[in-house]
Amino acid sequence: MLRLLLQVSLRNLFRSRINLLIGAIIFFYTLLLVVGGAMLDSLLGSMSRSIVGTVSGHIQLYSVTSRDPMSIWPTMGNEPDLSPMQDYQRVEGAISKLPNVKAVVPMGINGSLITSGNTVDLTLAELRGVVREEKENGKTAELEAERQSLKEHVRQIVRVLHTDLGRATEMETTEARDPEALAAVERASSDAFWQGFDEDPYGALEFLENKVAPQLPDGDLVPLRYVGTDLDGFAKSFDRMEIVDGQAVPPGRRGMLLSKFIYEQYLKLKTARRMDLIKEAVDTGALISTDPELQRYVHQNAQQTREILLQLDPLKSEQAVRALRASLGRSDGTLPELLSAFFAVTDDNFQARYAFFYKELAPLLQLYRLRVGDVLTITAFTRSGYTKSLNIPVWGTFRFKGLEKSPLAGNISLMDIMSFRELYGYLGADTSAEIQALKQEAGAQAVDRTHAEEELFGSGRKVVAEATPGLIDDKKAFPGTAANLRRKDLQQRVFDHAEISRGVVLNAAVILKDPSKLKQTLREVRELSDREHLGIYAVSWQDASGILGQLVMLARLVLYVAAFIIFVVAMVIINNAMMMATLRRTAEVGTMRAIGAQRPFVLTMVLSETLTLGVVFGAAGALLGAGIVGWVGAKGIRATADIMYFFFSGPRLYPHLSISNVIAAMGIVLVVSVVSTLYPAFLAARVPPVRAMQTDE
Amino acid sequence: MAPIVSIVDVYKEYSLGKTLVPALRGVSLDVVAGEFISIAGPSGSGKTTLLNLIGCVDVATRGTVVVAGRNTAELSERELTSLRLNTIGFIFQSFNLVPVLSVFQNVEFPLLLQRKLSAPERRKRVMLLLEQVGIATHADHRPSELSGGQRQRVAVARALVGSPQLVLADEPTANLDSVTGEHIIDLMKELNERDGTTFIFSTHDARVMSHANAVIRLEDGQIVGREKPLGGAQAAGMH
Ligand SMILES: Nc1ncnc2c1ncn2[C@@H]1O[C@H](COP(=O)(O)OP(=O)(O)OP(=O)(O)O)[C@@H](O)[C@H]1O
Ligand SMILES: [Mg+2]
Repeated sequence: MLRLLLQVSLRNLFRSRINLLIGAIIFFYTLLLVVGGAMLDSLLGSMSRSIVGTVSGHIQLYSVTSRDPMSIWPTMGNEPDLSPMQDYQRVEGAISKLPNVKAVVPMGINGSLITSGNTVDLTLAELRGVVREEKENGKTAELEAERQSLKEHVRQIVRVLHTDLGRATEMETTEARDPEALAAVERASSDAFWQGFDEDPYGALEFLENKVAPQLPDGDLVPLRYVGTDLDGFAKSFDRMEIVDGQAVPPGRRGMLLSKFIYEQYLKLKTARRMDLIKEAVDTGALISTDPELQRYVHQNAQQTREILLQLDPLKSEQAVRALRASLGRSDGTLPELLSAFFAVTDDNFQARYAFFYKELAPLLQLYRLRVGDVLTITAFTRSGYTKSLNIPVWGTFRFKGLEKSPLAGNISLMDIMSFRELYGYLGADTSAEIQALKQEAGAQAVDRTHAEEELFGSGRKVVAEATPGLIDDKKAFPGTAANLRRKDLQQRVFDHAEISRGVVLNAAVILKDPSKLKQTLREVRELSDREHLGIYAVSWQDASGILGQLVMLARLVLYVAAFIIFVVAMVIINNAMMMATLRRTAEVGTMRAIGAQRPFVLTMVLSETLTLGVVFGAAGALLGAGIVGWVGAKGIRATADIMYFFFSGPRLYPHLSISNVIAAMGIVLVVSVVSTLYPAFLAARVPPVRAMQTDE
Repeated sequence: MAPIVSIVDVYKEYSLGKTLVPALRGVSLDVVAGEFISIAGPSGSGKTTLLNLIGCVDVATRGTVVVAGRNTAELSERELTSLRLNTIGFIFQSFNLVPVLSVFQNVEFPLLLQRKLSAPERRKRVMLLLEQVGIATHADHRPSELSGGQRQRVAVARALVGSPQLVLADEPTANLDSVTGEHIIDLMKELNERDGTTFIFSTHDARVMSHANAVIRLEDGQIVGREKPLGGAQAAGMH
């Protein structure tokens, strides 16, 4: 009997156009479900990998006393106001014991602006260093040469400034220059000043530092978001992280790892960065002659040579002039002219100039304003609302594999949690004592520009100081922080893991062994917190990643809604088509009924026909869908915008088909076919047997 | 001998909108097993209506119809279907074969519904019937590949395969040319004589009628005569 039904169904498949129409609908619907499902699943999968694998982990923990919910990518750029966990050590101990928990990584996220030290400051600092060394250790020929070279460099810088001021006076814009400042520049440009330099080097340096340097536009303020964490634990738990330059911060030491993205984007010499961008675009087929953005880069490079000019001391200037003249085939021209001409690249000469730039000019320059091994001064807002500066050595740069170009993944740098605590205003008892000791020892000296920076920071955190254990009111207790901490003692102190977990932790990432059991583990964590009074909230990565996590949900919702709409549409069309098909077959059905087929037989027959239709065309659609997904999966979809790197969790998205996609698609399609045929089948079963006798067709 | 079909004072009215169309007006009829009866009458006289009532595909407005000892008015839809399946075979004017099934499968269909025989037994039975109607060589063909006469032979085989006591045929020759039509009637007659299966068929055609051993004449929904056709066999008692 079943065989008969199957035979009737199979043979009926291609009998009428209506069946073909239904088949086509089922075919395309399955195709869409399989391809759409696989694409979305892959996209969501890669997005979750990006979110989970960079900072968030699977679960985020934070204190119940926090004012804001945890958010790794806060919507308005305002870091959420989190209270420190009451007893992180206990939290870590308890949560780590859950069977599905692989690791708990303590964290704190904060942001600050760093002033990438400008060339004047750096050169003056170097000059001061040489002068001091000569004083302390006696003069040598080597130091003498260095001092002369640095002096020349500073003169060069002052010359550039002088020219700039001259130009500004010519244009005579609205704001009049402070005459005192103008006089200072005039004085610093004079031969007399430089002849007198060696007689009173400290006096001259003071003058340059206080009167001349501030007139040079400061180095950029670079926004820096950092996660203070147990760097070892972080590296172990977030295995996409890899060191690019330098090295990891040694265990127990203080230090920062800068995001390579930030390093390239903000700390590289702008001219070099633009050359890189042009190179990248040109290598992927863009043309300078047609691409307005590239033309803008070229224009900026040709116009803004000042950054390079400031860096070159006379000796290097001479080398640069020689190289540039040779390259451009010119026998004259000043350095600014030559640089402008050199950077006015075209499609024809770009590759050659790019190579020349890195081969000949780059060695004369500092490509990065901050080098691995340098000490970075970070000024951040403490929880009590005051600014706080800390010097932190930069050990290296890092990136998340595959997310090199993603601004979202790239905007986060890493810092040891001890330094983070200090910057945030929370200190362990012993560190507090240590700083007290240092404070007594060193003469407090206010840093001049802190005030300017405070203005800039004005729109930052608006948290009022609270009486929290370990919180220092740093304004009262600790003026002139930067100078104090320049002492290396603190930087070189080694701390152990116990110290990491004993101190203040704002949030923590929980990494799971089996991510598919996220919900269950989340429940366990919450129960544990309630039972043991840990005082923590636990949220999934979706919830912790703010708008990004919601995006994931939204994408899923959109697919479901779309699938549902098509579901309904397909149902209506199939239903109508089946009605027509059934009406056409009343004579046949009537005959079967007359011969002795019961109603359930007819019902089953019609249903099994659409079911067969669903299986056959659904399978065909699924097969083609699998083929398409396989084909796309082999090629990969290229991320065309930087933001897509994060969504794709790499430069390309490689969609892959999971069996569950196919099963779900087939299941849905079969449900659609059966449900939409219920009514027509019911009607068919009610065809009276007399219809067999009515041969009027 | 108990009649296989016993109809007493049957009325059948169709409603067409507000008007009632009387199709049968007090028909009484007994058919004894083994008869080969023709129902004759002008168009619209009620032949088809009568056959439908005997065939349990329709119910009378009034009066009793007893088929194989069962009063059809008292049977449920399910029981009627079962009665059709096991005791009645149908031959239709337009053959009514299932187009997507082969000749063999069409004939096998009632056996599958009956669920009495195993697959090999069915095969034997179907092939026997196909041989009897002389179409065994076309067992694997589709109906569309056959001529009208061949199709009707298949239909005859299908009607008889389930060993019914009664075979009903409403104008089985109307869609065939006269020679082929006569062949079909000869075939039916042959099977009637061999197995004693009762046949009731309607026709307009006098030559076809002449093969019957009794002709029942209908006019305006009433039986106006029951006669033995020329050269026909013995007639049964008339009501
Ligand atoms: N389904 C129906 N609805 C309404 N009236 C019907 C229906 N079937 C038959 N009739 C009417 O009943 C009467 C008998 O019809 P029936 O089909 O039994 O005649 P018939 O003798 O078979 O005619 P024919 O030789 O043309 O096939 C006719 O007047 C017909 O119009
Ligand atoms: Mg008729």
